[in-house]
Amino acid sequence: MTDGPVKEDSLVEAELLVEAEVIERNSIEVPGIIPAEDGPVIGLAGDDTLDKHLRREMMKEERAIAMQFHGGATWVYAALTVTCFAIWVSLFPLAILGYLGPVGLTLGFLFSTFCAAYGFIPSHEAMHSNIYPRGHKLYWVNELTGHLSTIPIALGFGVARLTHMEHHKYTNDPQLDPDYTDGAPNWWQAILKTWWNRQPGVEGSVHRYKKMMIDMDTPASRKAAMQTTILQLVMLGTFFGMAWSGYAIEVAVLWWLPRQVGLSWIRYWLSWAPHHPQERGRYKNTRIFRARLGYWASMAMEYHLIHHLYPGIPNHRQKEAYHALKDVLRRQGVDVSAH
Amino acid sequence: MTEAIRKLFAVMPFLFGIGFIAPLTAQLMAYWGVDAPLGLSRITFGLIFGGAWGLYANIKGRWL
Repeated sequence: MTDGPVKEDSLVEAELLVEAEVIERNSIEVPGIIPAEDGPVIGLAGDDTLDKHLRREMMKEERAIAMQFHGGATWVYAALTVTCFAIWVSLFPLAILGYLGPVGLTLGFLFSTFCAAYGFIPSHEAMHSNIYPRGHKLYWVNELTGHLSTIPIALGFGVARLTHMEHHKYTNDPQLDPDYTDGAPNWWQAILKTWWNRQPGVEGSVHRYKKMMIDMDTPASRKAAMQTTILQLVMLGTFFGMAWSGYAIEVAVLWWLPRQVGLSWIRYWLSWAPHHPQERGRYKNTRIFRARLGYWASMAMEYHLIHHLYPGIPNHRQKEAYHALKDVLRRQGVDVSAH
Repeated sequence: MTEAIRKLFAVMPFLFGIGFIAPLTAQLMAYWGVDAPLGLSRITFGLIFGGAWGLYANIKGRWL
């Protein structure tokens, strides 16, 4: 699972399909970019053709601005992932060898929680091949980053990527969006929901992801599901072995608790907060919001709308891109009052 | 193989209770100097507690 790029054809096809759909939605060349159910952006007195023309012009303007923010120093995601993963793995032998006392375990817990939660950011970039694009000689670095960064939460990268592509295709669709079950009416119920969805008999979170892999029933989904299964069996076997060898507290502090906190953090900030209240539509399915805990604690998700509009803009440039796009987004009907 | 793995994951909460909660319970009791009731050893108590909790999670579909 950590052996470099995975280039199975069906996975490639699945990603290309999603990317093509995103491009189609964003393209100024395709007549069908304007959703039929949308009303006029502004109250024009002219006919529908005029409105469509203006909207197309706005889309052209929006796209021209957005293109300036693609790319950048994305190698940093890979470098941080490899470094953090190496430190994270080393915590376990250090604990077994007795080098981590109470202070070391506390620091280890904080670091491991950071890895579990914030590891999802480079993983997310890798899902969109933003670190190095397909066809680049360093594409394997992109894939390696994706595989390594989801290990602390015991989720195979293949499942994470496939379900995330489905999330982009069907954002906020109750049946087809893998993340729809994170919906909740307010913040505290959303936090509870992140825990509830991980219960063994509840179809949410990773359970829903696994079910979707079965429902998809493609070579890529079967391979991805098997990767996650093997990863989870190896990790559970290792940690059960450690626990029965006298290191159960170490496992709890360095893996189990950080994973629980990390998963809740991810589900809350990446899934609930930016998509609440789960409306649908290009400019409605995500929102611009102000997080009480701030930009960094919210994993830079305050500008998640930018990601859904242009998945190729890396996480660290979304804030900058938003401010450049703010005026055109406001004209598109987006609530830009938060920032 | 796939069916065997599916069955394994179907009883994973119980296995988690035995494989992780049981030794964790015993080691936490030792760390805090708490003895097991009824003259049981800590690990026996941990197995009963972890096994029962895992079984409950398996049957009810939730840990609490």
